[in-house]
Amino acid sequence: MAKQVMRRLASDNEYFHPDFHGALSAGIEYLALRYGDEAVREYLRRFAAAYYAPLKQAVQQRGLVALKEYYERVYEREGAKIATELSRDELLVRIEACPAVMHMRKRGYRVARLFHETTRTVNDVLCEDTPFAAELVEYDPETGRAVVRFRRRMP
Amino acid sequence: MIPCTDFIPAYSELFKFLEARGGPEAVLDFWNYLSDNFLGNLRSLVEQNGIRGCWLYWSHTLNEEAADFTMELDEDAGEFRIIMHNCPSKGLLLRCKHIEPYHDYCSHCDVLYRRVLEPLGFECIADLSECDRARCSFVVRARHTAPGEAR
Repeated sequence: MAKQVMRRLASDNEYFHPDFHGALSAGIEYLALRYGDEAVREYLRRFAAAYYAPLKQAVQQRGLVALKEYYERVYEREGAKIATELSRDELLVRIEACPAVMHMRKRGYRVARLFHETTRTVNDVLCEDTPFAAELVEYDPETGRAVVRFRRRMP
Repeated sequence: MIPCTDFIPAYSELFKFLEARGGPEAVLDFWNYLSDNFLGNLRSLVEQNGIRGCWLYWSHTLNEEAADFTMELDEDAGEFRIIMHNCPSKGLLLRCKHIEPYHDYCSHCDVLYRRVLEPLGFECIADLSECDRARCSFVVRARHTAPGEAR
């Protein structure tokens, strides 16, 4: 059989590997099994505080519109439909189905019991030290359909 | 949801979190868990197609990850090889100035894939000596092939 060779440059493809959702889900499941549910939240808090520091700074400087733009950009890239309603004191995000959950269901990956914490805990961190609070109003673990509300805290 | 494009920093931060909890052994334990519970597709492809299964598996993943690589399959020699000229994962971590990559980030590949492939009759040779420049190589060789025979 002839030798096969494949040569690719980074510019030949778009960086988009949705199977990574399954790997993250496995990580969350592992943390919960070995260290307990609170370890999942603590890990996500640390990750979000470190990696999303620039986004958090944008929320501090520009308010809820920074979160609206972030949500719209991320979900569009993942090929999912969302609807946003923005007012001075509130941002409501309706996610028809979570693209991560839907991809994992399609590929047969296990969806971690605490997978919703990747939304809830991360949003909580994004709102720390800002005038806003986050709430996961609705969540369907089967599809990841969700309603997220960010609102200005009462003085 | 953490977008899949943010997975690599999340992965690296998970390794740091685990090491802070239980040392390097805790990280290794997770890598073994991930290999056993997440790489069933690689295992199935190699079980069904022999060493060509490696080609099939990495053709999918490396293209989706937009890697800069050369991949070679020589079924007569029983050898598969990836030369990673610029790893998208390590490259992303090196470019990201506001977080520090896990110090032993690149070792996860060797641990995860070796754990799948060795029990199926292959040996794995990883060269991570240039991983601080996002470069590495990974060779999978059918165990009956003497080291001198393979290119």
